[in-house]
Amino acid sequence: MSEIVAFREGLFKEDAQGGALLGSKCKSCGKVYFPPTPLCYDCLEENMETVPLSRKGTLYTYTVSQMPSFHFLPPYAVGWIELPEGIRVFAPLKEEEKLKVGMDMELVIEKLWEEDGKKVIGYKFKPCKSQPNHP
Amino acid sequence: MREVAIIGVGSTIFDKLPQRGVTDLGREAAWAAIKDANISPKEIQFAYCSNLYHPFVIGQGIINKVGISSVEVVNVENACAGGATAFRGVWLGIASGMYDVGIAIGVESMTTSPIAGKLIPPAKDDLDGELGLTMPAYVALAMVRHMAQYGTTVEQFARISEKNHRHGSLNPYSQYQKVLTLEEILSSRMICYPLTLLQVCPNTDGAAAVVLCAADKVKKYTSKPIYVATSVLKMGDYNYRRKDFTFSDLTFMTSQEAYENAGIGPEDIDLIELHDPFSGSELMHYEELGLCHPGEGGCLIDGGVTALGGKIPVNPSGGLLSKGHPLSATGVAQIAEVTWQLRGEAGKRQVPDARIGLTHVIGGTATGIEAGSCAVHMLKR
Repeated sequence: MSEIVAFREGLFKEDAQGGALLGSKCKSCGKVYFPPTPLCYDCLEENMETVPLSRKGTLYTYTVSQMPSFHFLPPYAVGWIELPEGIRVFAPLKEEEKLKVGMDMELVIEKLWEEDGKKVIGYKFKPCKSQPNHP
Repeated sequence: MREVAIIGVGSTIFDKLPQRGVTDLGREAAWAAIKDANISPKEIQFAYCSNLYHPFVIGQGIINKVGISSVEVVNVENACAGGATAFRGVWLGIASGMYDVGIAIGVESMTTSPIAGKLIPPAKDDLDGELGLTMPAYVALAMVRHMAQYGTTVEQFARISEKNHRHGSLNPYSQYQKVLTLEEILSSRMICYPLTLLQVCPNTDGAAAVVLCAADKVKKYTSKPIYVATSVLKMGDYNYRRKDFTFSDLTFMTSQEAYENAGIGPEDIDLIELHDPFSGSELMHYEELGLCHPGEGGCLIDGGVTALGGKIPVNPSGGLLSKGHPLSATGVAQIAEVTWQLRGEAGKRQVPDARIGLTHVIGGTATGIEAGSCAVHMLKR
């Protein structure tokens, strides 16, 4: 069984609920960031704490690439997901059904690629099974 | 700050030229600009050179081949805005009173660069790059949102490419000189939805150069000086502050400052050379530059407003889509094009009675910010 490594430290956690992205929140003004930042770019205080982010959001936009990127063979989907915290996250997408702007999406932690025989895991978003606003 | 004028411009053709090195390309453009300026190389007091992929001291390597040595040389990089950054450097050196005459060169050999035919591994700290955010994907994401938000169609985006290839067919400097149909453009290979191959600028080599001079000294060299009305260069703001990913706040802020500085608004401009590495880029830049309201870019292209013969021709040269995009050369080449247009020397692609032109480049991605760099210049005769 090959070794599993996170593609980045400190960006996400795995747990029984399916994991969560880890953002940073400014304790002085409340602004939330992803990826985490060392200081708050709004109030410029160095008073950040790690916070798990919402697992679900809406698909702000997406595209499907027919050209390879360094890690992904085509076709692969990527997009920006809007989270309730008021931030947008860029992530690879699982195109389990046809993607549409505005779809409800949920986080999934799984293998992104393989490197030096190791399984590299990270985050993706996939369409929620039920789409209350999009019958 | 003193007034500064352009007294000479030069450019190589833009094409795949792997048999030529950056020094040779730069030398050709620099020499053409010097000849056009009717100036002796001895009179050039300083130089800025922009290049991204080929270290080092490239400016010095070029200008010694045209008879210039010992002067101050600055080599700059600002991704796709590099050439405009070099032009700005020379403008500022003269406007500030430090020098009277300088040369700006932009050169890129994409076909002999480290990325030629290869995928560059993303930088170690480029999070989004590792997760698949390529340059086409970046713009494609904005285009898909633009379609969802405003009802813009894939045909409207493709029409930008049709227009620019038609313009390019009139331009001897352009890599592609072929009129393409909308059908050909839409049915070409999909790159990144909705961008098809013929809506993406090609890999191209080339160089361009401009000689600038203090305005009160131009009579010695030319009877057709072209004046720099304004130069603005800015860095992108944080992504988290962007409300609308279909709208480049960076282009908006840079151009607004340019309009204010020059006392000239978009309604006064006779032609624009803007950054169109992808068809969607140009459509969205119409909105940020204030040619129309957000969401109305499709109407502009449909109405022929931005074609040669229309009210405000955009990319009469053919733009990056048709000419190609040697990254650091593009910003300088746009200045050369607008100069030719304002002098009435643009041949078959001439915009009649052009008096005021605007150039725009934007480029460089870094996780967390909208984009690296945007430069807007306005020239007038």
